Amino acid sequence: MSKENKDLSDEILVGRIKKGDRDALEEIVKRYSQKIYNLALHVTRDAAAAEEIMQEVFLTILSKIHALTHDAYFSTWLYRVAMNAAYGYLRKERKYTEQTVSEDLENETAAEYDWSSLSDDILVSEESKDILRTSIDSLPDTMRMVVILKDVEGFKNEEISQALDLSVPAVKSRLHRGRLILRRALGDYFRRYSYSGAEE
Amino acid sequence: MNCMLCSKLFQEYLDNTLSEELIHELNLHMEHCSRCRVFFRTYSLTVTLSRKVEQPCCPSEETMERLTALLCDKLCSLHGKRP
Repeated sequence: MSKENKDLSDEILVGRIKKGDRDALEEIVKRYSQKIYNLALHVTRDAAAAEEIMQEVFLTILSKIHALTHDAYFSTWLYRVAMNAAYGYLRKERKYTEQTVSEDLENETAAEYDWSSLSDDILVSEESKDILRTSIDSLPDTMRMVVILKDVEGFKNEEISQALDLSVPAVKSRLHRGRLILRRALGDYFRRYSYSGAEE
Repeated sequence: MNCMLCSKLFQEYLDNTLSEELIHELNLHMEHCSRCRVFFRTYSLTVTLSRKVEQPCCPSEETMERLTALLCDKLCSLHGKRP
């Protein structure tokens, strides 16, 4: 693969792919395969399905790349195709649930227990990461995706809005509610942890 | 500013999209409200900890090789070339 491809923008690479440049295609696959795989794995929680989705996404992208009029928007388009493929999988497997969160989170104004002062060893322990991971996995689907895209993968609100076909206010609302659920789960865990430590 | 509004502004605060005036009001409120101070600390720490959740594992090397070969074949066929 040409070394210079690594430094090229998506826009230039996409332009080259449209002309049949194999090196440009390889660079795009290298640049985005991990992210697409991660997203698919977060949505489906199934490694084999994530690989299948990743393949489907790149094949779709390649077959429709000539229809992309603004090459600079390639990544937004790619993530949107990936989201559609992942949700398509969930629907097909009948695993898609857009349940509402019945808890009155909006009225939750403060935690009674300040776990922020715990040591880093406790805060970032494997057990607390497991609690957080499980809690993220338990969120309703679109809320989970918003939290993953924003807080785990570092996307901007506008990018998430385009990828998930939601308005920016809808993204913010789901993000806030998702964070409140995770915060509560962590609070419950750290409270139990502290009390059990005190009893020993 | 009341506690409810304060909690709704944390997200904007973390996104750095609050005006100076609102940041000042938020800080002023939190100086006098220990509940909101704790809420803000635990809310922002939840975001920080979420970033530390490990990435899922990678697709296998074999999968990547197969995918790249498949895509290159398709690219060639789209452009009427031999793989």
